[in-house]
Amino acid sequence: MSSPFATALAALTRQRGVRASLVVDENDGIVVDSNLQIGQDGDRVAALAASLYRKARLSARAARLGTATFMQLEAERGRICAAGHNDLVLVVVADPAANIGMIRVEMIKAAGALP
Amino acid sequence: MSITTVETWVEPPLRKFVEEARTVLALLLHPSGQVVAQFGFVRAVDVMSACALAAAIHASAGELGKQLEGKAFRGLHHPGRERQLYLAEAATQRGNFIFLTVFDQESSLGLVRLYFDEFCKNLAAAAPAEARRAEPVIEESFEGELNRNLAALFGRG
Repeated sequence: MSSPFATALAALTRQRGVRASLVVDENDGIVVDSNLQIGQDGDRVAALAASLYRKARLSARAARLGTATFMQLEAERGRICAAGHNDLVLVVVADPAANIGMIRVEMIKAAGALP
Repeated sequence: MSITTVETWVEPPLRKFVEEARTVLALLLHPSGQVVAQFGFVRAVDVMSACALAAAIHASAGELGKQLEGKAFRGLHHPGRERQLYLAEAATQRGNFIFLTVFDQESSLGLVRLYFDEFCKNLAAAAPAEARRAEPVIEESFEGELNRNLAALFGRG
């Protein structure tokens, strides 16, 4: 049985350079649903990305910047993008060469559709 | 960061866990309820109570798991309003231990589970070859052992 997030996650993972896409509970850092390429550790990404996103969101609020809508972490061997809605966070792990602009648009669209 | 241990090989894995998972309290104990290491507790009496309760909860949950699924539950999570509790078993060649940790909003269940898995691996790797087999706990020696461990942790001998 597919979850309500399966279509959105599959669409994100189809983007070139995307290794994994996940819906994560922001408070618990637990995977709600995921679409992973072989070799990706969903639990690890979920826990760390949710923690990072939560802290970024709280920091944005503390700095009176308003609501955080999108977070991107660039590292040597990849990127982590996160977009939240209510208590859920949409997380994407992508290659450094991935088209981040396209991924961002898709993520914000998909995050807006999260319950 | 104040970590105290009865057995020194436990300290590095526990220190790493506490630093990475950012938990508030951590306790490693034998399934009998005897403490092995602690982080974050101030009073010996609190450690003693937590150990007794953790051992009892672990035993009950284990039996419940066996009744329901034919095997003991792997871990137990209890979310409170401000703080959450995670209780699970860590296996080493020195025997199985019970691990109890308490965390607040600085951490999350996902992070705790993630670093607990690493803690189990590090603990198993750090455990020295079984030089002496742990003696079975018998009623006559239990209280003495318990007090000895608490004294070792809280500096009273």
